[in-house]
Amino acid sequence: MAKGKVLIIDDDPDFVEVVRTALETDDFQVFSAADGSQGLALMRREKPDLVFLDVMMAHPTEGVDVSEAMREDPALRDIRVVMITAITDTQYVGDFPTDRYLHVDQFLTKPVPLAELLELTNRLLKK
Amino acid sequence: MEEQFPLQAELIERIDWLISLRWLAVVGTLLTIVGVHVCFPGLLLQGPLVAVTTAIAFYNLLFYFYARRLHASRSTVLKLRQSTVFAYVQIALDLIALTTLLHLAGGVENPFVLFFVFHMIIASILLSPTASFLVALLASSLFAAMALLEYKGLVPHHNLVGLVNPELYRHGTYVLASILVMSTTLFLVVYMTSSISARLRARTNQLLEVSRSHEAKSRELEELNTKLQKLDAARTKFMVTVTHELRAPVATIYSCLDLVLGGFASPEKERQILERAQQRTTELLDLVKDLLELTGARQAEVQAEEAEPIQLADVLRNVEELMRVEAENKDLFLSVDIAPNLPLVRAKPEHMKTVWTNLLSNAIKYTEPGGIVVVSLSHNPEYVVGVVRDTGMGIPAEDLSRIFEEFYRTANARAICPQGTGVGLAIVKRMVESYGGKIWVESELGRGSKFTFMLPKACNR
Repeated sequence: MAKGKVLIIDDDPDFVEVVRTALETDDFQVFSAADGSQGLALMRREKPDLVFLDVMMAHPTEGVDVSEAMREDPALRDIRVVMITAITDTQYVGDFPTDRYLHVDQFLTKPVPLAELLELTNRLLKK
Repeated sequence: MEEQFPLQAELIERIDWLISLRWLAVVGTLLTIVGVHVCFPGLLLQGPLVAVTTAIAFYNLLFYFYARRLHASRSTVLKLRQSTVFAYVQIALDLIALTTLLHLAGGVENPFVLFFVFHMIIASILLSPTASFLVALLASSLFAAMALLEYKGLVPHHNLVGLVNPELYRHGTYVLASILVMSTTLFLVVYMTSSISARLRARTNQLLEVSRSHEAKSRELEELNTKLQKLDAARTKFMVTVTHELRAPVATIYSCLDLVLGGFASPEKERQILERAQQRTTELLDLVKDLLELTGARQAEVQAEEAEPIQLADVLRNVEELMRVEAENKDLFLSVDIAPNLPLVRAKPEHMKTVWTNLLSNAIKYTEPGGIVVVSLSHNPEYVVGVVRDTGMGIPAEDLSRIFEEFYRTANARAICPQGTGVGLAIVKRMVESYGGKIWVESELGRGSKFTFMLPKACNR
């Protein structure tokens, strides 16, 4: 019996693979999607407990849009969200919303230390 | 008279000044007439003197209105010509008026004869040196005519009884001497004033020119500065892109190592993970190699000057040898057609090798097994023309304009070969262009692509 269902939404197949390996080794059931709409569809079907969401995919705030869509949808509202960013320079700062409430439990920055990621996943899914 | 615009504007301004001065002269003359009448009653012919002064006031009024009309005029050229003529007329009239006044008040005996000097100064400031000397000539002639006519008794002489020796005007030597002294004085004054004002004008022109050339230079600097800023912005953008491109594989390699070293992967998965890390390392090395080449291409322009004439066909044959293996491995038909007697081009052989290698390896990479890659090298009157054609997947029309951009890869190329860097064509374009050449692409999706580049013949440069 898996410890929980985790969905990874990220367009970087390497990142998906690495996180999947780590989570599966730690007994989680893992799904993945390469873009926002595919991710939302999977969420509605699989009802994961936690979503890892990349901020920047096809466009710089795709992840933010996904988290907003989740907030609007009562069926998805309770899913935990960890937002992953690779924003290390200032070029997209203007694109990133500061005045919107984000449905996000935690932020992580790439490259994500896996120990931290696993610890976080376990903590969020225990509650 | 070759004057600059601001000086022409000055002439127009000075005309107002002249008119104001004349009002002062009218008032001064009237006061003098009244003063002399009070001190020496009956000495002067007041009636005619006041009449002449009134005439001066009258024509000055006309001048005043004419000057106002002149100011309103739009055409600067016309305004200038009219102002010059206007100045001549005023000075001539003033000289005649002064001579008449003097004649009515004792002629050569009147100490006010010295007032001719003022007119000379005014003329020298307003007019060209030649015109000023003409004015001096006119003044001297008027003075001489007045003195001689009075001396000969052809016009009546009006004595200044009690003020000066009344017989002086009949004294031939005195008359001659005063004509001589007056003329000399007038000409000298004109000479001195003209040369001073000419020097001032020249200095002003010099200053104008200097400030104009400064303006031009500062504009030039501004343009250069803008260009540099653009270059700098482009370079920064490039740096950002490069950093992002380098970051992705490094982040993956880090995560893979983290997975293995942290014990987050089952032993049977470890090998797979390490292989992925190795794959990304290879890609990273490729990217670094391409970046180095791109830097080289960016500097090619600098080196283009010292490039020797080379035979493009030799370079192509070398590259062909290397590429033939790849093509045969993929079951592609590779045909190379080199025209005879090909002229040389001026370029670095290693740069041309990069051009051929990138174009050919692209053609091979994006063409399905069983396809054809045709390379041809020919020339036209000015250029050597290289063409690489394939029957591959082709390029979507919307991507055609962007495929030479650094790091740009089309979606279909990405699908076939995920690990390309998107730098190859940018390198090719830079290299071709740095030797004065051109490159372009024609393509039809699903049917193939045709890259054509032209390099100027060596003898043309």
